[in-house]
Amino acid sequence: MLAIYKKELRTYYTSMIGYVFMAFFLVIIGIYFYIQNLMYGAANFEYTLSGVIYLFVLLVPILTMRLIAEENKQKTDQLLFTSPVSAGAIVVGKLLAVFTVFFSVILITCFYPLIMSLYGKIPYASAYSSIIGFTLLGAAYLAMGIFISSLTESQVVAAIVSFITFLFTVLMGGIAGAFPSDNKTAYIVFTIIALVICLIIYLLMRNLTFTIGIGFLMVLGLTAVYLLKPTLFDGSVIRVFDWISVASRFDSFNYGIFNLSSIIYYLSIIFLFTFFTVQVIKKKRWS
Amino acid sequence: MKYKEETILIEVKNLVKRYGNNTAVDHLSFTVDKGQILGFLGPNGAGKSTTMNIITGYISATEGTVTVNGLDVFEEPEKVKKMIGYLPEFPPLYPDMTVREYLNFVADIKKVKKSEKNRMIEDIMEDTRIAPMADRLIKHLSKGYKQRVGLAQAIMGYPELIILDEPTVGLDPKQIIEIRDLIKTLSKNHTVILSSHIMQEVTAVCDTVMIIDKGKLILSDKTENLSESLGSTGGLRLSIKGDKEKILAALNKITRIKNIEVQEQTSSEIVNLMVHCDEHEDIREDIFYTMCELGTPILEMQTIRMSLEDIFLKVTNGSAEESVSEEDLELYDQDNELDDSRNDNKEDNTDAGDL
Repeated sequence: MLAIYKKELRTYYTSMIGYVFMAFFLVIIGIYFYIQNLMYGAANFEYTLSGVIYLFVLLVPILTMRLIAEENKQKTDQLLFTSPVSAGAIVVGKLLAVFTVFFSVILITCFYPLIMSLYGKIPYASAYSSIIGFTLLGAAYLAMGIFISSLTESQVVAAIVSFITFLFTVLMGGIAGAFPSDNKTAYIVFTIIALVICLIIYLLMRNLTFTIGIGFLMVLGLTAVYLLKPTLFDGSVIRVFDWISVASRFDSFNYGIFNLSSIIYYLSIIFLFTFFTVQVIKKKRWS
Repeated sequence: MKYKEETILIEVKNLVKRYGNNTAVDHLSFTVDKGQILGFLGPNGAGKSTTMNIITGYISATEGTVTVNGLDVFEEPEKVKKMIGYLPEFPPLYPDMTVREYLNFVADIKKVKKSEKNRMIEDIMEDTRIAPMADRLIKHLSKGYKQRVGLAQAIMGYPELIILDEPTVGLDPKQIIEIRDLIKTLSKNHTVILSSHIMQEVTAVCDTVMIIDKGKLILSDKTENLSESLGSTGGLRLSIKGDKEKILAALNKITRIKNIEVQEQTSSEIVNLMVHCDEHEDIREDIFYTMCELGTPILEMQTIRMSLEDIFLKVTNGSAEESVSEEDLELYDQDNELDDSRNDNKEDNTDAGDL
């Protein structure tokens, strides 16, 4: 694991990617910091951070796109997966390397509230809790990025898919509220989602009977719930889309609230996508 | 039984690998002894690489087991992988690393002890003759050097078993000889499995040959046995100086000769002939004395041996036209079975299609 970690970290800093990421991130945060905190004189550092969330959409794919896709393409996965290292250790090693690059940026941002203290009294607690939230949000995106990278052999495809997915999760916070909350719409939306899941299962497994079976069970379950207790669906569409919108979880930090449920949410996203990545790699052996 | 356990390194039992309806490896069973150099021979798509990928734990088998030193590849992958060095068909190299960085990384993931690491990297670079390239980026190396770096990677940690998938592909003749020598040196301390579709390579390096076609084991034998048992065709190639008619008349008197083929004459004085007799008969002396009496000197006499190439073609295609010996008949049988199984497969396919 350590060997993988060192190798990945070295790759970030022998190619330009690591520096480009850090430079771009710091420049944008610097500009926001200057405008929000220094020019307008707001004492809340969380305003700066909530302004730069969209940076993840652009910059995380740059960091994660090559992590596994490139191994698949160069056939170096054959070296990794025939060496005495488990798939889990390989993925965790890679994830830690990309975290390190990201955390080095965060470490620098930690100095900004201190700079502000030169000009007056600063609410440190809310500033640093928002930095923690921001870090976890970024880490969640990185874990999603590495998962998308494991699905393909092409860095470009990995980057584009990550970009669209992240954009979707950022925009979702705004869109979700607009969905109707009655239970009939919910039933239709969930049925469509169930069918899309079936399509994905079919594309991954190419097993028609299994797919139809799963699809049938899901639609049957949804219909049963709808007929027996339709109130269960009330407002559920909004709730589900809210749950998907990774970025909107950061809002509570923005109001200076150290929200434990958001932290657990981010940690479980990181864990879940790391687990998925390992499964994708293991599954490839069985196809 | 105990004796067996000590000498057998790899045991492959009933290995099957299916991709959908396509069977890449079909009930393959074999064992490899310690210290052996085994050559996998087969046309492209015969299942050589698939078999190697399964032994190294890169992909899983649909059915069957592989054990290395008594440990199951699927149950204890990390222990088994530690015993194996693998050079896949495409050497798994990181183009943006220097050779030394790369080997350093490989040593780390193969868990080479820190105290031995630097020394081992230097030794291996010496052995594979890549030391002069140690600080160059891999992407700037030529194909031959890349292949050698791949080989160095496989040797790293000196695993008991070294598996090489077409190690000499894309190299020039000088490099091929160097790599072969290297493999021979390695085989003194390691068990080696290599695959190839080139005959000479296998005969030059391996002591046991396995011929695989359509995922099935067709033939497995010691290299020297192969050319001896299958190789002798009971034929002689002759070049005799003298009058054609007289020579033929004299040769026809030797009863043990079954048939005579006259080949194209390169000059008016020299007759080129192919003479066939029963497989285990030796008619060379007869021919010599007959020609002595006739006063026509034999310029060349050569036993016709079947090259591994012929054996290979014969076994995989069944298109042999040479005299039919007992062994050949056996081969024909196997071949027919193979054809049958192919037809079976086709039927299976159509069945699946109907569904």
